Amino acid sequence: MNLVRLPVRKMFKTLLTNDALPGAAAEQSIRKRDAVRDQSRPARKRRHTNRDFLCTALLALILVPSAAAAEPLVTLPAPPFELPVLPPVSGTWTVMVGVGGEYKPDFEGAKRSMLSPIPIFSIRRAGSTEQFRGPRDSASIALIDFGDLRAGPAGKFVTSRKANSYSELNGLGDVKTTVELGGFVEYYPVDWFRTRGELRQGIGGHHGVVADLSADFIVPLIQRFTVSAGPRFTWESTQATSPYFGIDAVQAMATGLPAFNAKGGPHSVGAGAQVSYRIDPQWEVHAYVEYQRLLGDAAKSPLVTLRGSPNQTTFGLGASYAFDVRIR
Amino acid sequence: MRPGSRCVSFATIVLVAVSVSACAMLETRETKLQGVKTVGIISAVGDEITFAKGGLTGLDNRSQRFPIGSWGLDELIVQQITAALSGRFQVQPVTYQREAFAAAEKDSVITPVNVIRGDPFKKLVQTEVSPQGLDAYIVITKAKSTFGGGGRKLEGIGFLNYGTVLASYSQIHALYEIRVFDGKTFDVIEKMTAPPLDDVGAVRIAGPSRMLDESFAPGAGDPAQNEKLHAAITDLVARSLPPTLSDMHLADVR
Repeated sequence: MNLVRLPVRKMFKTLLTNDALPGAAAEQSIRKRDAVRDQSRPARKRRHTNRDFLCTALLALILVPSAAAAEPLVTLPAPPFELPVLPPVSGTWTVMVGVGGEYKPDFEGAKRSMLSPIPIFSIRRAGSTEQFRGPRDSASIALIDFGDLRAGPAGKFVTSRKANSYSELNGLGDVKTTVELGGFVEYYPVDWFRTRGELRQGIGGHHGVVADLSADFIVPLIQRFTVSAGPRFTWESTQATSPYFGIDAVQAMATGLPAFNAKGGPHSVGAGAQVSYRIDPQWEVHAYVEYQRLLGDAAKSPLVTLRGSPNQTTFGLGASYAFDVRIR
Repeated sequence: MRPGSRCVSFATIVLVAVSVSACAMLETRETKLQGVKTVGIISAVGDEITFAKGGLTGLDNRSQRFPIGSWGLDELIVQQITAALSGRFQVQPVTYQREAFAAAEKDSVITPVNVIRGDPFKKLVQTEVSPQGLDAYIVITKAKSTFGGGGRKLEGIGFLNYGTVLASYSQIHALYEIRVFDGKTFDVIEKMTAPPLDDVGAVRIAGPSRMLDESFAPGAGDPAQNEKLHAAITDLVARSLPPTLSDMHLADVR
């Protein structure tokens, strides 16, 4: 089969269903159809690109050969030198690669959703465990670690919101990319319950303060299959809310929406649930759903009341493959 | 030349320069170990066993500790390492305060402090070990590992019962790390935590561990009297030493 000549999603479907390749006429038809689609809205085009990427990554994962659990897949030579402060790299390391997809609202407050690919990659000492992580958690490092109580810096990257990407935003102007930096504290009173709080200051697209609070019940059904779920709450200052939900006089004229002065306060409340299943020592799959209901001025903004929705739901799905690398 | 290409070229030159200078400045472990002829071995791992509960537990999931000094695990470790290293080094018997090494300064809760502060065993090797003046001292002490999704840690020799909704799992572990101290400067030449064995247990632990069936579970009596448990721990330690010494380039005994 000449898989390379097929569009990725078709290639994936063909491999799964074991269909024969379509003939030249069919290929031409696919090209024509794709050309027509390319002329459609940019957001839709981006969705297709993302879907192609996701399919390619899933295909790559399927084609990765299964390695024996015991033996490292790769053995690398010892490094030519070592830094005195750092521990030696010799030994066995577990590398995890994978891909996930997230189906989430086009922008915060949007009515429609879009699928985005998410890469998964981590390296850790063989045998060491990955700590529980919620889908909404920011990237963080525990600099203070009492075992059940951990704290440290946290950061989140909030992508820019381009007005020309979605028709609902036409005339509102762009909101630049934001980097939110701050800290986190999490506490495990018992192994199966986690509470976490984050406080972050925005730099870039917004200059406000965001506070996230969450709790998760983490229940192992069997050792390889874990279910977790719990409530969520977010508070945002006026400076964090206004760029996304406020509408000034100029924007009101350009969009036809009424002017709105968005203030800070309780931003959203919701709940999330996650399942993860370790198929074998190499393969792991996970899925999650996060629901949040916008509150306060975020929910009252004409952008949400007239063109969007206060109900924001995100679905996620991912698969990862772990293999061992031994460094001599 | 485009600006992007210039940046890549500059980064490559910097990387090569740093690598070359680092190679010139820093000795590898192999180089440091080449000068070592006489070694002493200190082991402080086998004084107690910890019984821990994890996963779906009750509200009281504190660990319990029991003395197992009578099992002679430290003597076994010294004996095994001596046998493994005898071809390459001249291993000399040393006397030391095992309790002092077992109760050495614990990790700081402020994690960066653990990276920048000196090794907690350096002073002990200088003051608590006799004779002094050997080329190197090999020190085996307890290591830690997190388990499950939370931040709780296991340490040293132990027995873990991990509960889930539908099943519970029993697992033993022998978590230890090996340091090689320079006998003159008392700097750490080499340090490594024993890696997991091939037959890892259901619960991931960053060190040697294996699953056990219920018959190994300690009853109400003294765990030190449980011969099956004793034999299983001894086997775990004996099987985990060769790959660790091999990874440390001390002996090729895999």
